Amino acid sequence: MAEWAPPMVAAPLPEAPDGMVQVIGVTKAFGDVVAISDVTFGVGPGVTALLGPNGAGKSTLFRIMCGLTTPSQGEVRVLGVDARRDREVRGRIGLAPQQDGLFDRVSALRFVEVAAQTLGVVDHERAARAALDQVKLDADDPKPVGSFSKGMRQRVKLAAALVHDPDVLILDEPLTGLDPVQRNRMIAFFHELGDAGKCLLVSSHVLDEVARLGSRVLVIAQGRLAATGDYRALRNLMDDRPHRIRIAADGARALAGALVDRSLVDGVSVRGDELVVDTNDVDRFGRSIAATAQQLGIRLREVEPLDDDLESVFRYLVERR
Amino acid sequence: MSSVKPARAAALTYGLVIKQLVTRGRLVALTFVGVVVALVAFLVGRAETNGGEADQLERGVTLISLLGFGLLVPIVSLVFASAALGDMREDGTLVYLWLRPMDRWPVVAGAWGAAVTVSLPVTLVSLVSSAFLVDAGNGLVGATVLAAVVGTVVYSALFVLAGLLVKNAIVWGLLYILFWEGFVAAFGGLAAKLAVVGYTRSIIADRTGVDLELGDLPLASAVVVPIVVTVAVLALASVRLRSMEVA
Repeated sequence: MAEWAPPMVAAPLPEAPDGMVQVIGVTKAFGDVVAISDVTFGVGPGVTALLGPNGAGKSTLFRIMCGLTTPSQGEVRVLGVDARRDREVRGRIGLAPQQDGLFDRVSALRFVEVAAQTLGVVDHERAARAALDQVKLDADDPKPVGSFSKGMRQRVKLAAALVHDPDVLILDEPLTGLDPVQRNRMIAFFHELGDAGKCLLVSSHVLDEVARLGSRVLVIAQGRLAATGDYRALRNLMDDRPHRIRIAADGARALAGALVDRSLVDGVSVRGDELVVDTNDVDRFGRSIAATAQQLGIRLREVEPLDDDLESVFRYLVERR
Repeated sequence: MSSVKPARAAALTYGLVIKQLVTRGRLVALTFVGVVVALVAFLVGRAETNGGEADQLERGVTLISLLGFGLLVPIVSLVFASAALGDMREDGTLVYLWLRPMDRWPVVAGAWGAAVTVSLPVTLVSLVSSAFLVDAGNGLVGATVLAAVVGTVVYSALFVLAGLLVKNAIVWGLLYILFWEGFVAAFGGLAAKLAVVGYTRSIIADRTGVDLELGDLPLASAVVVPIVVTVAVLALASVRLRSMEVA
């Protein structure tokens, strides 16, 4: 006779963090592919940036928050409830999805008006006009949104997300396709909304955008939460990581020796008149490389960071966890 | 912000879906098919017959049940109904109806209503013209109208559901029309009762008195059963819309 064993139970969820949006131990798998892995965080009023490379799982996380898809494990609460089960809370969420699809045969005003009507806004035309005005689009433009540029379509999506004055705004790459002036205007507008007590979650894969979006940052990479907190702390963390730099110079071998002697690099390889160095102190290296070359009478032709792209930053953040 | 009343949600969906469904490409292609059916009816109507009016009626009924209810009605319904929510599902715009404080069934009902509204004129104009052109009397016209309405209503429900269930619903729908409705149902018995074509043929057979293969159901059953099936299928589509993952 088999020995009695207690029934298997799922691992307990982590303690729920505070916030208007609470993501608690969320995992999402599509077959064998894990898109989101055990992510927990809470987001309160104000602007919070979700930073991560393309394919990191940002959109999947947003879709789970809105109830558009279910997590394989864990739970998400928006304003204390699950948006997939609670119909009413959907009227308090504004989502600007990443995908470009709109009802292409209607005008911007009609598109936003339909959003208002389906969200139960009573004075829907006035609300739609106000929302279009907020994103600087002409409400009287009769052209169908199918003929709009990428930036204009993006702003139509934003207007539709704003039209019912939601408490929680989930904006998936909302700055894509906007010109620099529109970008600045939108970022300022997001801050206005955040200052008014709204909870804004804004995703981006562009570091400079995130720098301007606000100080609160969630970094997601390979489906995992790689870092959270203040943007400046994140920036410092990124500067402190090991860097790899390629240098093209006359007398590369002599320069390599000098860099090692002065402990400016942790590793170096030389090939012809090029050297590739690894350094943990990129600031000191940057300050010293020109002076060192000058002392040796070596002409620097090129100094190029090899891993300054976001992908390598995210990889580093994930690997250090 | 409050929930949206079901009638309002259905009306909003209806208006939106109609606007998206009516494209020049679809209308031109389907009108072309309809014109071909009418043209064949015209040629049949002008052909010499040996058996007088009875023979003319039988030829007309056969033509309309084969081309009209075997191909035109299901294909027109497939094109519009599978796109009603299926296109939104595939291009990501379904989110604009899904993430709303609304029940799901009015969304499905509105989309189905839009598909029927767009499909019916295309099928009716072609089939009623065909019924006149075969010159087989007014009985055939009335029977054709009733069968076309019943067929469009039930096919549209089936293909709205298909649009929510599978990608490339057009391909699956065509396979269903050709294989199940066109081939398996021909064996009669239970297979015919599980195919829409058995009901549309029964309506025509009953109203014209022409003895038609698979058309042996009483008129009441041929009308009521498709309506019950329509309601059941739309309910299934609502459940599917509620439980599906939206991109």
